[in-house]
Amino acid sequence: MTRRLKLGGQLVAFACVAGLLALLVWSVVHQEHAPSVGSVAPSFTLRRLEGPGTVSLASYRGKPVVLNFWASWCEPCKSEAAVLQRDWASYRNRGVVFLGVDYHDLSSDARRFVSAHALTFPMLQDGSGNVTSRYGISQVPETYVLNRQGRVVAHLRGPITDPGFAGQFRAAIAKAAAA
Amino acid sequence: MLRLLAVVAAALVLAGPAAACAHPRTSLGYLQGQVMCPTCHTTLDMSDSQAAQQIKAFIAKKVAACWTAKQIESALVANYGQEILAAPSHQGFDLLAWWLPIVGVLAGGVVLALGVWRWSRRRKPEEPDGPAGGSGLDEETERRLDDLLARFD
Repeated sequence: MTRRLKLGGQLVAFACVAGLLALLVWSVVHQEHAPSVGSVAPSFTLRRLEGPGTVSLASYRGKPVVLNFWASWCEPCKSEAAVLQRDWASYRNRGVVFLGVDYHDLSSDARRFVSAHALTFPMLQDGSGNVTSRYGISQVPETYVLNRQGRVVAHLRGPITDPGFAGQFRAAIAKAAAA
Repeated sequence: MLRLLAVVAAALVLAGPAAACAHPRTSLGYLQGQVMCPTCHTTLDMSDSQAAQQIKAFIAKKVAACWTAKQIESALVANYGQEILAAPSHQGFDLLAWWLPIVGVLAGGVVLALGVWRWSRRRKPEEPDGPAGGSGLDEETERRLDDLLARFD
């Protein structure tokens, strides 16, 4: 009886250790990494920030897409907003799509931000940050440029107003549109 | 920071009319320990990030407007998802987070009790089987022992 109890205890302990190890392996394997240049951008469907309905990234396949991650509490996003709006106005006629993804933000504050900066390109809401984490976003603003096949052409970690990024941003859009 | 102070000040100004809440008023201090900062993954009271400040300002405003803790938490969950709450919900898979520690403590207690019981049994002094002052061996063993000893004589 005692031997059986001892064996049972050992089995339970072994199962616990194996379970914890499996959990560790699973978390390492499923760690989110930013999609690299050339890879297909993770698909998503998000709620619109303003108005009802959802928007799916897949619905823009065939068009170059600028995916900008931002939040109303983010200071650099404020200076970037005007530049994005200006670029959107100049690129929209060339078939380039701009999408804003607002993350970890209060929707009321986000709407105020959009209104204050007179942003007119589609804005999506990722309150939980699930989509954002699949894009490996560590701090906003960050911008992805995707080509017509939905592949990443560029990933800019920081505001596109940064001296080094402005040229890169436009070059990436040109490359995405050409592909 | 200035923005947060402005909202807290506005909340205090509004606190006058809101003093007539129909229910006990919750507090920013209480909710700071119940709500997570979404960008830093700590509770609000341990974070001073911009995202945390935004949520603190929201809570302060709602507390002043007489919202209950539950109402404020629900609004935050609707905006950020269930992950915004520090404690897991009491339903579905999240129940595991509540019950597993209790089961673990109980199992540990049982194992500990079992160990102590076995240890105390092992340490108990052996009671002599035979009459007081006897060798404690049965007759057969005693006879065989005598035979063996006799061989050495």
